[in-house]
Amino acid sequence: MNIFFVLLKKEIKELLTRQLLFTIVATLLVFQLIGGLVGSHNKASAARSGIVLLDLDRTALSGRVTKALGGGKAKLTLYAGGGIETALAAPELGAENSFMVIPAGLEGELKAGRPASVEFYSRFKKNASGLGPAMSASRIRRAAQAASAEISAWLLERNAPGLAPAFLMDPAPAREFAVVDGRTAEVSLAQVIGFIQSQTFFFPVAVFFIVILSAQMIMTAVASEKENKTLETLLSSPLDRRLLVMSKLAAASLIAALLSGAYMLGMRSFMAGVTGLGADPSVAVAAAGPALAKLGLMLTTSGYLLVGLSVLFCILCALSIAFILGIMAEDVKSIQAMMTPLMLAYLMPIFIDLSTAHTGLKVLLYAIPFTHAFMAPQNVMMGNYSQVLWGIAYQAAVFAACVTIAARLFSGDALLTMRFRFPGSR
Amino acid sequence: MIKALELTDLVKKYKNFEAVAGLSLTVAEGEIFALVGPNGVGKSTTLKMIATILTPTSGSVKVFGLDASRDAHAVRELISYLPEEAGAYKNLTGREYLEFMAMVFLKDKARALAAAGEGGLLSGLGPRLGDKIKTYSKGMARKLLLARAVMIKPRLAILDEPTTGLDIVNGYEIRKTIKALAAGGMTFVISSHNMGEIEYLSDRIAVINNGRLLACDTPAALKTRFATDDLEEVFIKLTQ
Ligand SMILES: Nc1ncnc2c1ncn2[C@@H]1O[C@H](COP(=O)(O)OP(=O)(O)OP(=O)(O)O)[C@@H](O)[C@H]1O
Ligand SMILES: [Mg+2]
Repeated sequence: MNIFFVLLKKEIKELLTRQLLFTIVATLLVFQLIGGLVGSHNKASAARSGIVLLDLDRTALSGRVTKALGGGKAKLTLYAGGGIETALAAPELGAENSFMVIPAGLEGELKAGRPASVEFYSRFKKNASGLGPAMSASRIRRAAQAASAEISAWLLERNAPGLAPAFLMDPAPAREFAVVDGRTAEVSLAQVIGFIQSQTFFFPVAVFFIVILSAQMIMTAVASEKENKTLETLLSSPLDRRLLVMSKLAAASLIAALLSGAYMLGMRSFMAGVTGLGADPSVAVAAAGPALAKLGLMLTTSGYLLVGLSVLFCILCALSIAFILGIMAEDVKSIQAMMTPLMLAYLMPIFIDLSTAHTGLKVLLYAIPFTHAFMAPQNVMMGNYSQVLWGIAYQAAVFAACVTIAARLFSGDALLTMRFRFPGSR
Repeated sequence: MIKALELTDLVKKYKNFEAVAGLSLTVAEGEIFALVGPNGVGKSTTLKMIATILTPTSGSVKVFGLDASRDAHAVRELISYLPEEAGAYKNLTGREYLEFMAMVFLKDKARALAAAGEGGLLSGLGPRLGDKIKTYSKGMARKLLLARAVMIKPRLAILDEPTTGLDIVNGYEIRKTIKALAAGGMTFVISSHNMGEIEYLSDRIAVINNGRLLACDTPAALKTRFATDDLEEVFIKLTQ
């Protein structure tokens, strides 16, 4: 055991260079910086432009609409300098992109029982980018809804006095229920979908970082030992070869965990900066927490344990496969080429919907050990424990096979004589 | 008496190419034995088989009576191998490297530290032992690796071109060290392209060409046989 820690210490010292530490810190800073910049830019552009209102009617009704809009989120600018043409040409409104026109005679038309309309103008700029156009679209939608609600209320008050307009406008509001596995809870569909997506998307991305980083590290470590012939020296020593394999696996996973922790932290502050929502995307669904728990969608402790186990074996599989690829690599430079198939194998289950894939593809996807880790959270949520357990068993079998192959390669001639090249990588 | 090394009809094929084609020779304990021959004739391949990291296609390697294939683990307890053009862990310091390798071979902390201390002296690197290996010159790294190979006091040291890349003074010192260690009973099998070095160091020489043994004798006997006092001439006559 003692010698294992000696080996582990050496591996970590070799892997954890000043350059790597610098990369971690730089990553954190860049995420933070970009997140902050994008966030403040979006906030600033939201504050800069609002809605310009042209009240050409100047009646009690248009006054009411103006007041209702003034209470909304968007900044309201009243323009009294003329019609829409002059407003669009007015230099002081050059930064504004959303215009609303209450036409003259609106109140009169409605009083007479004839339909009329409120007009919205959106100015597009050719060099528009980022979230600007999308934000002005949602601004207009909200303003249109508010104006329409206010005009309806005004009409209802006139024609059906004594009845509350709010009641008349939505006398039987919808209540949404979600049903999972026979359990029913009142929660909006959007919240359930958001929650499931956060579990099924953010989770694989987090695991992806660990897998790719540690795979790359271990391949480089093996290939460089091969290139420097330090491996030949170690192999001629009375050292147990399994210890050699295991110390490399352990060191790479430890550092990968550290790295992915840094990445996730950076990601969080990036997302927080961009969305302005606060660090945790799950805050948005937190309100729906009790309902989600009632549906059995919140993971229990044993559920988390199962998912964790599946992820652990996913990482171990990736590492042992990377180890074998590292043994076969011609030199450190060919590592990048060797990474590609591993990354493809990893990404495939993220982008292909397993429930709709045809049988051949399904078999292929289930043969990739990483798939089972992606499926684990969903399966645990949906109570398919046996599927998760079978997945873990399969992953464990793949891992055992890979370690055996790696150890076999280590003890035979292959390590010294095998040269694996990608066509074109020279 | 048991031989330190005994090769019997040793053959190594890479796919269809026969790199070593039936090599037989013996080395006595305490001997410094040199493999010489042109480039690509199978010297390194032979040394790798002795070092247990390549398996012979046929024939056998015996180290102090132990078979290098069947009793590989026991053989590894007796040997120390220095590959040609080997490197070291770039992010370790010289001292860390020696301590790590001593631990790998000796597995006992106290013994390892003592061996690493001796290795530090043998390397002649002095205060530079505290620097990372990536800051070393080629010769400094080679001296470190040589010190590593002998500091653990193996019964058989296998050195593939040990002094390549060393300057005259350092080469001279290394040769003196090897001679002193051999006088103390350590056996050496080395390969080299430096005839002066071979003549000074080795008790016996094996001249190899195309994986076959051409001659195996003391430098003096070989020179007499070819009626010359220049070992290089012997080499050229034999390999032409
Ligand atoms: N991994 C390998 N795969 C295929 N052929 C190899 C391999 N290693 C060596 N050879 C071939 O075997 C022959 C002997 O190689 P070896 O390295 O033993 O030569 P050498 O005598 O040490 O030469 P040098 O003096 O240049 O070091 C060469 O022709 C070489 O091309
Ligand atoms: Mg050689």
